[in-house]
Amino acid sequence: MSAAPTITLIDYDAGNLASLEGALDRMGLVHLRAATPEQAAATGPIVLPGVGHFDAAQRSLAERGWWRALPELVAEGRPLLGICLGLQLLAEGSEEAPRAAGLGLIPGIVRRLGPGVKVPHMGWSQVRQHMPHPALPDPKGAWLYFVHSYALEPSTESVYLADHGRPFAAIEARGMVMGFQPHPEKSGRPGLLLLQSALTWMGARTPVPEEPCN
Amino acid sequence: MPAKRVIPCLDVKQGRVVKGVQFKGLRDIGHPVELARRYDAESADELVFLDISASLEARGTRESWVRDVAHELSIPFTVGGGVSKVEDARSLLRAGADKVAVNSAASLRPALVTELADAFGRQCVVAAVDVKRDPVLGWRVYLKGGTEPTERSAQDWLWELNELGAGEILLTSMDRDGTGDGFDLPLLDWASELPIPLIASGGAGREVHFLEALEHGADAVLAATLFHENLLPIPRLKAYLAEHDLSIRI
Repeated sequence: MSAAPTITLIDYDAGNLASLEGALDRMGLVHLRAATPEQAAATGPIVLPGVGHFDAAQRSLAERGWWRALPELVAEGRPLLGICLGLQLLAEGSEEAPRAAGLGLIPGIVRRLGPGVKVPHMGWSQVRQHMPHPALPDPKGAWLYFVHSYALEPSTESVYLADHGRPFAAIEARGMVMGFQPHPEKSGRPGLLLLQSALTWMGARTPVPEEPCN
Repeated sequence: MPAKRVIPCLDVKQGRVVKGVQFKGLRDIGHPVELARRYDAESADELVFLDISASLEARGTRESWVRDVAHELSIPFTVGGGVSKVEDARSLLRAGADKVAVNSAASLRPALVTELADAFGRQCVVAAVDVKRDPVLGWRVYLKGGTEPTERSAQDWLWELNELGAGEILLTSMDRDGTGDGFDLPLLDWASELPIPLIASGGAGREVHFLEALEHGADAVLAATLFHENLLPIPRLKAYLAEHDLSIRI
Protein backbone atom coordinates (compact mmCIF):
# COMPACT_ATOMS: atom_id res chain seq x y z
CA MET A 1 0.00 0.00 0.00
CA SER A 2 1.28 3.47 -0.81
CA ALA A 3 1.24 6.07 1.92
CA ALA A 4 -1.96 8.08 1.89
CA PRO A 5 -2.33 11.21 4.03
CA THR A 6 -3.56 10.05 7.40
CA ILE A 7 -6.52 11.74 9.08
CA THR A 8 -5.71 12.71 12.65
CA LEU A 9 -8.62 12.36 15.08
CA ILE A 10 -8.13 14.41 18.23
CA ASP A 11 -8.73 12.10 21.19
CA TYR A 12 -9.57 14.20 24.24
CA ASP A 13 -12.35 12.36 26.04
CA ALA A 14 -15.04 14.54 24.52
CA GLY A 15 -15.89 12.94 21.26
CA ASN A 16 -17.55 9.86 19.89
CA LEU A 17 -14.50 8.51 18.10
CA ALA A 18 -15.84 4.98 17.64
CA SER A 19 -18.59 6.10 15.27
CA LEU A 20 -16.30 8.44 13.41
CA GLU A 21 -13.69 5.73 12.97
CA GLY A 22 -16.36 3.37 11.69
CA ALA A 23 -17.46 5.94 9.11
CA LEU A 24 -13.87 6.54 7.95
CA ASP A 25 -13.24 2.80 7.74
CA ARG A 26 -16.33 2.34 5.60
CA MET A 27 -15.00 5.04 3.26
CA GLY A 28 -11.55 3.44 3.20
CA LEU A 29 -9.85 6.52 4.68
CA VAL A 30 -6.75 6.03 6.83
CA HIS A 31 -6.87 7.58 10.30
CA LEU A 32 -5.22 7.59 13.70
CA ARG A 33 -6.08 8.84 17.18
CA ALA A 34 -3.90 11.54 18.71
CA ALA A 35 -4.22 12.54 22.35
CA THR A 36 -1.51 15.20 21.94
CA PRO A 37 -0.22 17.23 18.97
CA GLU A 38 2.99 15.13 19.05
CA GLN A 39 0.93 12.07 18.14
CA ALA A 40 -0.63 13.73 15.09
CA ALA A 41 0.15 12.48 11.59
CA ALA A 42 2.81 14.54 9.81
CA THR A 43 0.36 15.68 7.16
CA GLY A 44 -3.32 15.36 6.33
CA PRO A 45 -6.50 16.73 7.82
CA ILE A 46 -7.10 17.03 11.55
CA VAL A 47 -10.57 16.31 12.89
CA LEU A 48 -11.82 17.86 16.11
CA PRO A 49 -14.91 15.95 17.23
CA GLY A 50 -16.78 16.90 20.36
CA VAL A 51 -19.74 16.32 22.57
CA GLY A 52 -20.39 17.79 26.00
CA HIS A 53 -19.70 21.16 27.53
CA PHE A 54 -17.76 23.92 25.79
CA ASP A 55 -15.62 24.82 28.79
CA ALA A 56 -14.83 21.21 29.74
CA ALA A 57 -13.76 20.49 26.17
CA GLN A 58 -11.71 23.68 26.04
CA ARG A 59 -9.87 22.73 29.24
CA SER A 60 -9.29 19.20 28.05
CA LEU A 61 -7.80 20.44 24.76
CA ALA A 62 -5.61 22.90 26.64
CA GLU A 63 -4.30 20.21 29.01
CA ARG A 64 -3.27 18.08 26.05
CA GLY A 65 -1.55 20.94 24.23
CA TRP A 66 -4.04 21.13 21.40
CA TRP A 67 -5.43 24.53 22.29
CA ARG A 68 -2.09 26.16 21.58
CA ALA A 69 -1.12 23.85 18.71
CA LEU A 70 -4.26 24.07 16.58
CA PRO A 71 -3.92 27.75 15.55
CA GLU A 72 -0.24 27.10 14.71
CA LEU A 73 -1.08 24.04 12.63
CA VAL A 74 -3.81 25.96 10.81
CA ALA A 75 -1.37 28.83 10.18
CA GLU A 76 0.95 26.29 8.57
CA GLY A 77 -1.89 25.30 6.25
CA ARG A 78 -3.08 22.12 7.97
CA PRO A 79 -6.75 21.42 7.17
CA LEU A 80 -8.98 21.27 10.25
CA LEU A 81 -12.52 19.92 10.49
CA GLY A 82 -14.59 20.52 13.63
CA ILE A 83 -17.69 18.42 14.20
CA CYS A 84 -20.59 19.44 16.46
CA LEU A 85 -18.98 20.92 19.59
CA GLY A 86 -15.79 20.81 17.51
CA LEU A 87 -17.28 23.46 15.21
CA GLN A 88 -18.35 25.55 18.18
CA LEU A 89 -14.83 25.47 19.64
CA LEU A 90 -13.49 26.91 16.36
CA ALA A 91 -15.64 30.04 16.82
CA GLU A 92 -14.72 33.12 18.84
CA GLY A 93 -16.76 32.13 21.87
CA SER A 94 -19.94 30.58 23.15
CA GLU A 95 -22.77 31.62 25.42
CA GLU A 96 -22.33 28.20 27.02
CA ALA A 97 -19.06 29.37 28.57
CA PRO A 98 -19.05 33.18 28.60
CA ARG A 99 -15.66 33.35 30.32
CA ALA A 100 -13.84 30.93 28.00
CA ALA A 101 -12.70 32.13 24.59
CA GLY A 102 -13.00 29.95 21.50
CA LEU A 103 -10.14 29.19 19.12
CA GLY A 104 -11.24 32.10 16.92
CA LEU A 105 -10.43 30.22 13.71
CA ILE A 106 -13.94 30.95 12.47
CA PRO A 107 -15.52 34.35 13.15
CA GLY A 108 -18.76 34.47 15.07
CA ILE A 109 -20.30 33.60 18.39
CA VAL A 110 -22.14 30.44 19.39
CA ARG A 111 -25.53 31.19 20.94
CA ARG A 112 -28.15 29.13 22.73
CA LEU A 113 -31.06 27.85 20.64
CA GLY A 114 -34.61 28.83 21.47
CA PRO A 115 -36.82 30.14 22.96
CA GLY A 116 -39.96 28.56 21.63
CA VAL A 117 -38.36 25.29 20.48
CA LYS A 118 -37.28 22.13 22.28
CA VAL A 119 -33.64 22.26 23.33
CA PRO A 120 -31.44 20.33 22.74
CA HIS A 121 -32.18 20.29 19.04
CA MET A 122 -31.97 16.55 18.69
CA GLY A 123 -32.80 14.70 15.53
CA TRP A 124 -32.91 14.98 11.78
CA SER A 125 -33.21 18.36 10.13
CA GLN A 126 -32.92 19.49 6.54
CA VAL A 127 -30.03 21.64 5.45
CA ARG A 128 -29.91 24.13 2.60
CA GLN A 129 -27.10 25.72 0.67
CA HIS A 130 -26.25 29.28 1.62
CA MET A 131 -22.92 29.95 -0.16
CA PRO A 132 -21.48 27.67 -2.85
CA HIS A 133 -18.40 25.70 -1.82
CA PRO A 134 -15.99 23.83 -4.12
CA ALA A 135 -16.24 20.62 -2.11
CA LEU A 136 -19.83 20.62 -0.91
CA PRO A 137 -22.65 20.40 -3.45
CA ASP A 138 -26.15 21.75 -3.01
CA PRO A 139 -27.61 19.31 -0.43
CA LYS A 140 -31.06 19.53 -2.04
CA GLY A 141 -32.92 19.22 1.23
CA ALA A 142 -30.78 16.40 2.65
CA TRP A 143 -31.63 15.35 6.21
CA LEU A 144 -28.72 15.38 8.64
CA TYR A 145 -28.55 14.39 12.30
CA PHE A 146 -28.11 17.11 14.93
CA VAL A 147 -27.62 17.02 18.69
CA HIS A 148 -26.89 20.41 20.19
CA SER A 149 -28.20 23.19 22.39
CA TYR A 150 -26.00 25.97 21.00
CA ALA A 151 -25.29 27.00 17.43
CA LEU A 152 -23.10 29.34 15.43
CA GLU A 153 -24.90 32.39 14.09
CA PRO A 154 -25.14 32.31 10.30
CA SER A 155 -22.64 34.45 8.43
CA THR A 156 -22.41 35.59 4.83
CA GLU A 157 -19.94 32.74 4.36
CA SER A 158 -21.97 29.91 5.87
CA VAL A 159 -22.01 27.01 3.42
CA TYR A 160 -25.16 25.26 4.67
CA LEU A 161 -27.84 26.58 6.99
CA ALA A 162 -30.41 24.71 9.04
CA ASP A 163 -33.30 25.90 11.18
CA HIS A 164 -34.38 25.26 14.71
CA GLY A 165 -36.50 28.16 15.82
CA ARG A 166 -34.09 30.36 13.88
CA PRO A 167 -31.53 29.77 11.13
CA PHE A 168 -28.05 28.73 12.20
CA ALA A 169 -24.81 27.70 10.48
CA ALA A 170 -24.88 23.97 9.73
CA ILE A 171 -21.58 24.06 7.86
CA GLU A 172 -19.14 26.94 8.07
CA ALA A 173 -15.85 27.14 6.19
CA ARG A 174 -12.89 29.50 6.12
CA GLY A 175 -10.27 28.22 3.74
CA MET A 176 -9.03 24.89 5.04
CA VAL A 177 -10.89 25.27 8.32
CA MET A 178 -14.34 23.78 8.24
CA GLY A 179 -17.00 23.07 10.82
CA PHE A 180 -20.03 20.74 10.72
CA GLN A 181 -22.76 21.29 13.28
CA PRO A 182 -24.54 18.02 12.33
CA HIS A 183 -22.93 14.64 12.90
CA PRO A 184 -22.05 13.43 9.40
CA GLU A 185 -21.03 10.05 10.85
CA LYS A 186 -24.58 9.67 12.20
CA SER A 187 -26.47 11.01 9.21
CA GLY A 188 -26.83 7.94 7.04
CA ARG A 189 -25.50 7.93 3.50
CA PRO A 190 -25.83 11.69 2.85
CA GLY A 191 -23.68 12.34 5.91
CA LEU A 192 -20.99 9.91 4.82
CA LEU A 193 -20.84 11.51 1.37
CA LEU A 194 -20.46 14.98 2.88
CA LEU A 195 -17.74 13.81 5.22
CA GLN A 196 -15.95 12.13 2.36
CA SER A 197 -16.21 15.24 0.16
CA ALA A 198 -14.91 17.51 2.90
CA LEU A 199 -12.00 15.27 3.89
CA THR A 200 -11.03 14.54 0.30
CA TRP A 201 -11.01 18.26 -0.42
CA MET A 202 -8.76 18.62 2.63
CA GLY A 203 -6.31 16.17 1.13
CA ALA A 204 -7.40 12.79 2.48
CA ARG A 205 -7.09 9.95 0.00
CA THR A 206 -7.91 6.29 0.01
CA PRO A 207 -4.71 4.25 -0.19
CA VAL A 208 -3.83 3.03 -3.65
CA PRO A 209 -2.48 -0.53 -3.77
CA GLU A 210 1.10 -0.55 -5.05
CA GLU A 211 2.00 -2.22 -8.29
CA PRO A 212 3.04 -5.77 -7.59
CA CYS A 213 6.84 -5.95 -7.96
CA ASN A 214 7.56 -9.25 -9.56
CA MET B 1 -38.64 21.39 13.77
CA PRO B 2 -36.64 18.20 13.31
CA ALA B 3 -38.23 15.25 11.53
CA LYS B 4 -40.44 12.93 13.54
CA ARG B 5 -38.40 9.80 14.27
CA VAL B 6 -39.19 6.11 13.87
CA ILE B 7 -37.20 3.99 16.30
CA PRO B 8 -36.96 0.20 16.49
CA CYS B 9 -36.23 -1.06 19.98
CA LEU B 10 -33.99 -4.10 20.41
CA ASP B 11 -33.78 -6.14 23.59
CA VAL B 12 -30.34 -7.62 24.08
CA LYS B 13 -29.47 -10.52 26.33
CA GLN B 14 -25.91 -11.75 26.68
CA GLY B 15 -24.88 -10.09 23.46
CA ARG B 16 -27.78 -11.37 21.32
CA VAL B 17 -30.97 -9.60 20.26
CA VAL B 18 -33.92 -11.48 21.69
CA LYS B 19 -37.65 -11.32 21.42
CA GLY B 20 -40.16 -12.41 24.01
CA VAL B 21 -42.42 -15.23 22.88
CA GLN B 22 -45.56 -15.81 24.93
CA PHE B 23 -45.22 -18.80 27.26
CA LYS B 24 -41.94 -19.77 25.61
CA GLY B 25 -39.48 -17.30 27.02
CA LEU B 26 -37.03 -15.65 24.66
CA ARG B 27 -36.15 -16.31 21.07
CA ASP B 28 -32.76 -15.33 19.60
CA ILE B 29 -33.26 -13.13 16.56
CA GLY B 30 -29.67 -12.23 15.75
CA HIS B 31 -26.50 -10.34 16.59
CA PRO B 32 -26.89 -6.63 17.40
CA VAL B 33 -24.71 -5.72 14.39
CA GLU B 34 -26.86 -7.71 11.94
CA LEU B 35 -30.03 -6.03 13.16
CA ALA B 36 -28.33 -2.63 13.24
CA ARG B 37 -27.31 -2.96 9.58
CA ARG B 38 -30.77 -4.05 8.58
CA TYR B 39 -32.49 -1.14 10.29
CA ASP B 40 -29.92 1.34 8.99
CA ALA B 41 -30.69 0.13 5.45
CA GLU B 42 -34.44 0.31 6.13
CA SER B 43 -34.13 4.02 7.02
CA ALA B 44 -34.82 3.75 10.74
CA ASP B 45 -33.96 7.14 12.25
CA GLU B 46 -32.35 5.81 15.39
CA LEU B 47 -32.06 2.58 17.40
CA VAL B 48 -32.59 1.83 21.06
CA PHE B 49 -30.86 -1.21 22.57
CA LEU B 50 -32.06 -2.29 26.00
CA ASP B 51 -29.77 -4.77 27.67
CA ILE B 52 -32.00 -7.11 29.64
CA SER B 53 -29.19 -9.39 30.82
CA ALA B 54 -29.95 -10.24 34.39
CA SER B 55 -26.44 -10.22 35.78
CA LEU B 56 -23.64 -7.73 35.86
CA GLU B 57 -21.28 -10.37 34.43
CA ALA B 58 -23.47 -10.80 31.35
CA ARG B 59 -23.41 -7.06 30.87
CA GLY B 60 -19.63 -7.13 30.94
CA THR B 61 -19.60 -8.25 27.32
CA ARG B 62 -21.73 -5.41 26.09
CA GLU B 63 -18.97 -2.92 25.45
CA SER B 64 -17.81 -5.24 22.74
CA TRP B 65 -21.10 -5.37 20.82
CA VAL B 66 -21.70 -1.66 21.44
CA ARG B 67 -18.32 -0.98 19.80
CA ASP B 68 -19.19 -3.22 16.86
CA VAL B 69 -22.56 -1.53 16.40
CA ALA B 70 -20.97 1.94 16.53
CA HIS B 71 -18.50 0.90 13.87
CA GLU B 72 -21.18 -0.29 11.46
CA LEU B 73 -24.10 2.02 12.09
CA SER B 74 -24.54 5.36 10.33
CA ILE B 75 -27.47 6.47 12.50
CA PRO B 76 -27.54 7.27 16.23
CA PHE B 77 -28.23 4.69 18.90
CA THR B 78 -29.06 4.59 22.58
CA VAL B 79 -28.05 1.84 24.99
CA GLY B 80 -29.79 1.21 28.30
CA GLY B 81 -30.08 -1.48 30.92
CA GLY B 82 -28.63 -1.39 34.39
CA VAL B 83 -26.94 2.00 34.07
CA SER B 84 -26.65 3.11 37.68
CA LYS B 85 -23.49 5.21 37.81
CA VAL B 86 -21.53 7.67 35.73
CA GLU B 87 -18.87 5.05 34.99
CA ASP B 88 -21.46 2.67 33.45
CA ALA B 89 -22.51 5.43 31.09
CA ARG B 90 -18.95 6.45 30.33
CA SER B 91 -18.02 2.96 29.18
CA LEU B 92 -21.05 2.80 26.87
CA LEU B 93 -20.41 6.26 25.42
CA ARG B 94 -16.72 5.52 24.98
CA ALA B 95 -17.64 2.33 23.14
CA GLY B 96 -19.63 4.48 20.73
CA ALA B 97 -23.21 4.75 22.01
CA ASP B 98 -24.68 8.19 21.37
CA LYS B 99 -26.94 8.22 24.39
CA VAL B 100 -27.55 6.14 27.47
CA ALA B 101 -30.97 5.29 28.84
CA VAL B 102 -31.59 5.18 32.58
CA ASN B 103 -34.70 3.87 34.26
CA SER B 104 -34.95 2.24 37.69
CA ALA B 105 -31.62 3.57 38.93
CA ALA B 106 -32.75 7.13 38.26
CA SER B 107 -35.95 6.57 40.16
CA LEU B 108 -34.06 5.13 43.12
CA ARG B 109 -31.41 7.87 43.03
CA PRO B 110 -32.57 10.90 41.00
CA ALA B 111 -29.18 12.65 41.36
CA LEU B 112 -27.85 10.11 38.83
CA VAL B 113 -29.63 12.01 36.05
CA THR B 114 -27.91 15.25 37.03
CA GLU B 115 -24.54 13.53 37.35
CA LEU B 116 -24.90 12.09 33.84
CA ALA B 117 -26.03 15.41 32.38
CA ASP B 118 -23.12 17.22 34.05
CA ALA B 119 -20.61 14.64 32.87
CA PHE B 120 -21.78 14.18 29.27
CA GLY B 121 -24.36 16.84 28.49
CA ARG B 122 -28.08 16.31 28.77
CA GLN B 123 -28.40 15.34 25.11
CA CYS B 124 -26.75 12.01 26.06
CA VAL B 125 -29.28 11.22 28.78
CA VAL B 126 -32.50 9.42 27.92
CA ALA B 127 -34.82 8.84 30.85
CA ALA B 128 -36.93 5.72 30.29
CA VAL B 129 -40.17 5.73 32.25
CA ASP B 130 -42.72 2.91 32.47
CA VAL B 131 -46.22 3.94 33.53
CA LYS B 132 -49.65 2.47 34.12
CA ARG B 133 -52.96 4.25 34.53
CA ASP B 134 -53.89 4.63 38.16
CA PRO B 135 -57.11 5.75 39.88
CA VAL B 136 -55.21 7.85 42.40
CA LEU B 137 -52.17 9.18 40.59
CA GLY B 138 -53.46 9.41 37.02
CA TRP B 139 -50.48 7.49 35.73
CA ARG B 140 -48.19 5.67 38.16
CA VAL B 141 -44.48 5.07 37.58
CA TYR B 142 -43.33 1.44 37.69
CA LEU B 143 -39.82 0.01 37.94
CA LYS B 144 -38.14 -3.23 36.87
CA GLY B 145 -39.96 -3.59 33.57
CA GLY B 146 -43.34 -2.67 34.99
CA THR B 147 -43.33 -5.17 37.83
CA GLU B 148 -42.64 -2.87 40.75
CA PRO B 149 -44.97 0.05 41.54
CA THR B 150 -43.60 3.29 42.98
CA GLU B 151 -45.40 6.08 44.78
CA ARG B 152 -44.59 8.54 42.00
CA SER B 153 -47.10 10.02 39.62
CA ALA B 154 -45.86 10.13 36.05
CA GLN B 155 -46.72 13.83 35.83
CA ASP B 156 -44.49 14.74 38.76
CA TRP B 157 -41.68 12.41 37.72
CA LEU B 158 -41.44 13.57 34.11
CA TRP B 159 -41.21 17.22 35.12
CA GLU B 160 -38.66 16.31 37.77
CA LEU B 161 -36.59 14.40 35.21
CA ASN B 162 -36.60 17.49 33.03
CA GLU B 163 -35.38 19.58 35.96
CA LEU B 164 -32.74 17.00 36.85
CA GLY B 165 -31.23 17.19 33.38
CA ALA B 166 -32.76 14.45 31.21
CA GLY B 167 -32.39 15.25 27.52
CA GLU B 168 -35.20 13.08 26.30
CA ILE B 169 -38.02 10.92 27.73
CA LEU B 170 -38.78 7.39 26.53
CA LEU B 171 -42.29 6.90 27.84
CA THR B 172 -43.80 3.42 27.80
CA SER B 173 -47.42 2.73 28.56
CA MET B 174 -47.44 -0.66 30.29
CA ASP B 175 -51.21 -0.77 29.77
CA ARG B 176 -50.75 -0.69 26.02
CA ASP B 177 -47.41 -2.48 25.64
CA GLY B 178 -47.86 -5.64 23.58
CA THR B 179 -51.56 -5.02 22.88
CA GLY B 180 -51.28 -3.54 19.40
CA ASP B 181 -54.28 -1.36 20.28
CA GLY B 182 -52.51 1.95 19.79
CA PHE B 183 -50.56 4.34 22.01
CA ASP B 184 -52.02 5.88 25.17
CA LEU B 185 -52.91 9.20 23.55
CA PRO B 186 -54.11 11.14 26.64
CA LEU B 187 -50.75 10.27 28.21
CA LEU B 188 -48.92 11.74 25.22
CA ASP B 189 -51.10 14.85 25.26
CA TRP B 190 -49.76 16.11 28.54
CA ALA B 191 -46.29 14.51 28.40
CA SER B 192 -45.51 16.30 25.13
CA GLU B 193 -45.80 19.63 26.95
CA LEU B 194 -42.36 18.92 28.41
CA PRO B 195 -39.64 21.11 26.90
CA ILE B 196 -37.57 18.02 25.98
CA PRO B 197 -38.24 15.47 23.21
CA LEU B 198 -40.68 12.65 23.90
CA ILE B 199 -40.42 9.10 22.52
CA ALA B 200 -43.76 7.28 22.65
CA SER B 201 -43.69 3.54 23.31
CA GLY B 202 -46.22 0.82 23.92
CA GLY B 203 -49.22 -0.18 21.87
CA ALA B 204 -48.29 0.24 18.21
CA GLY B 205 -50.17 -2.22 16.03
CA ARG B 206 -50.91 -0.41 12.79
CA GLU B 207 -49.69 2.54 10.74
CA VAL B 208 -52.43 4.83 12.00
CA HIS B 209 -51.31 4.34 15.61
CA PHE B 210 -47.96 5.94 14.83
CA LEU B 211 -49.70 8.82 13.08
CA GLU B 212 -51.93 9.37 16.12
CA ALA B 213 -49.01 9.35 18.54
CA LEU B 214 -47.10 11.91 16.50
CA GLU B 215 -50.20 14.07 16.09
CA HIS B 216 -50.63 13.91 19.87
CA GLY B 217 -47.26 15.52 20.37
CA ALA B 218 -44.70 12.70 20.43
CA ASP B 219 -41.40 13.58 18.76
CA ALA B 220 -40.56 9.96 18.05
CA VAL B 221 -42.34 6.61 18.00
CA LEU B 222 -40.83 3.35 19.15
CA ALA B 223 -41.84 -0.24 18.46
CA ALA B 224 -40.23 -3.68 18.50
CA THR B 225 -42.19 -6.69 17.27
CA LEU B 226 -43.89 -4.90 14.38
CA PHE B 227 -40.50 -4.06 12.93
CA HIS B 228 -38.61 -7.22 13.91
CA GLU B 229 -41.23 -9.45 12.34
CA ASN B 230 -41.51 -7.09 9.38
CA LEU B 231 -45.26 -6.87 9.98
CA LEU B 232 -44.90 -3.20 9.19
CA PRO B 233 -41.78 -2.41 7.16
CA ILE B 234 -40.24 0.92 8.21
CA PRO B 235 -40.07 2.35 4.66
CA ARG B 236 -43.82 1.73 4.27
CA LEU B 237 -44.57 3.33 7.63
CA LYS B 238 -42.44 6.37 6.83
CA ALA B 239 -44.06 6.81 3.42
CA TYR B 240 -47.47 6.66 5.11
CA LEU B 241 -46.49 9.26 7.72
CA ALA B 242 -45.01 11.55 5.06
CA GLU B 243 -48.25 11.29 3.04
CA HIS B 244 -50.05 12.58 6.10
CA ASP B 245 -47.97 15.75 6.07
CA LEU B 246 -45.65 14.89 8.91
CA SER B 247 -42.03 15.94 8.65
CA ILE B 248 -40.33 12.60 7.94
CA ARG B 249 -36.85 11.76 6.72
CA ILE B 250 -37.36 9.63 3.63
